Amino acid sequence: MSSGPAVVCENLEVGYGQMKAVDDVSFSVEVGQVFGLLGPNGAGKTSVVRALTTIIDPSAGSARISGYPLTDPAGVRSVIGVLPESNGYPESITASEYLRYFGRLNGLSATAAITRAASLLTEVGLDGVGGKTIRTFSRGMRQRLGIARALVNRPSVLFLDEPTLGLDPAGREDILSQLTAIALSDGTSVVLCSHLLDDVERVCDRIAILDKGKIVSSGSVADVTARAEVGRVVTITVETADTDRALDVLRDAPAIRSIAATQPGLIEVEVSRPVEDFNSLLDALLRAGVSIRALEPPKTRLNEAFLALTGEKERANDR
Amino acid sequence: MTADGTSGLASRPWAIVAAHELRSLWLSAKGLTVLFGYTVLLSAMTYLAATNSELNLLDARESIAIIVQVAIGLGTLAALVVSADAISGERERDSLEALLLTPVPRRDLVIGKMLAASTMWLASIIVALPYAYSIAQGPAVGADAVLVLITVGPLVGAALTALGMAFSAVSLSNRVSLAASIGILLVLAAPSQLPAIASRGALGSILVTINPVSAGLKLANTILIDQKTWASQWTLIVSPVVAAILLTVVAVLASRRVRLGGSR
Repeated sequence: MSSGPAVVCENLEVGYGQMKAVDDVSFSVEVGQVFGLLGPNGAGKTSVVRALTTIIDPSAGSARISGYPLTDPAGVRSVIGVLPESNGYPESITASEYLRYFGRLNGLSATAAITRAASLLTEVGLDGVGGKTIRTFSRGMRQRLGIARALVNRPSVLFLDEPTLGLDPAGREDILSQLTAIALSDGTSVVLCSHLLDDVERVCDRIAILDKGKIVSSGSVADVTARAEVGRVVTITVETADTDRALDVLRDAPAIRSIAATQPGLIEVEVSRPVEDFNSLLDALLRAGVSIRALEPPKTRLNEAFLALTGEKERANDR
Repeated sequence: MTADGTSGLASRPWAIVAAHELRSLWLSAKGLTVLFGYTVLLSAMTYLAATNSELNLLDARESIAIIVQVAIGLGTLAALVVSADAISGERERDSLEALLLTPVPRRDLVIGKMLAASTMWLASIIVALPYAYSIAQGPAVGADAVLVLITVGPLVGAALTALGMAFSAVSLSNRVSLAASIGILLVLAAPSQLPAIASRGALGSILVTINPVSAGLKLANTILIDQKTWASQWTLIVSPVVAAILLTVVAVLASRRVRLGGSR
């Protein structure tokens, strides 16, 4: 329907009685992009997804999914696929029957639904078990079946709420590979809700971190981690004989927060601005003739940024 | 006809939902187990009523009326249990969200599930027909017994199935939906258990007549025991008809209230 962004969410708010679960949330997702929505438990991720998928009504704000406003729920539902966080199945029917049923509910003819079910089972690696009842499926198989169901109407936007939760490493790997393949091959935009940061870091083009219903940071993974107030310790290894000279140079360098020689030849420096200060340190040491054996740039993993931005570290300490 | 040869009716969302629910109900243990239990109870009642002369102190016509009433009551209860679980059960099993995410209108979900649940009382009545007819052979009221079953049974069954569906649509908990539905069935059936003298007064008579369950059960009594004509008892069929129509409309309207729940 639209050639613009796949998802445009503006000033979205969701309330449950007096409590505001989502507060002024805005973001957009481009076509074919994998967008990660992160946050600790209770941050409001599921509420955002439920509002964007027309399951609950937002109390304020607006959103468009592939051009359809939330005020046109039938339109929105025709272009989305969703794997909800709590995903139950009718246990007594087969995987194939289940997909055929959802194909029919999404407007496919009986024949088209049979063909679609068979192709989806193959796509998600469940070919050969389509005739088995769902009660015999493992958690990983159920998640794959859920993804197949979400894809039954060839959606332009796929919402996945904690798709790898409770899976073993091989299962997680499977799901993430599938996710990337879906976005790459079909140009389907993916909104991935998770608190498994390794997953998000691996597959997402852009992310937003949600805490207490508000977006506290958004952008590419690199942008978000760079903006977080963490990961600014540079570890420098110099010749043991050059340790004192290196310390003298570093003490005179601007924007240094702290310096510590943890052992001869090994110096840890906390800088204010990771990229700029790192370069200036390197330059100063080389000009002073310090022999540098190794230098580890300030690296911030997404989980460090996440903990800093959401205050989860402090909350854990308080507990 | 559609391109793949299915008729227009079969491609209607409510028909797709109904077909799926029918398969789930009758090809799984659920529907057959309930029907088996119903059949065992009805068999026991019929056997006692027909053969045990020491225990059976009732007049033959009263025995037939009791069998017909039990068949209607238990069939309605079975359908009520199935319909009361239809939406709230999906909610509790975490499978409702996936259904609500399809483009199918919620009204069609409710209608499809209600139609499937209705087959529960339909099956109960079909099972009860030979029992009623065979026990009625003696006093030659077989035709009336069958007629009461196929008129009162569907009307009371449809009304209570719709009631269960309405509760299921608006209740967040399956337990609440089942308890409320069964509670109302018991309240509605209670007047039929009152001593005859209590229902003979003007107020008692009105209460019995406006209550679809007690009116239906009383109709069985007046036709099968008192051998009144259908024409003279038409007032007793009004409230089951009105209740069946009204509660079906209520259930369809309640579909607007079908929600996932308030989880974050």
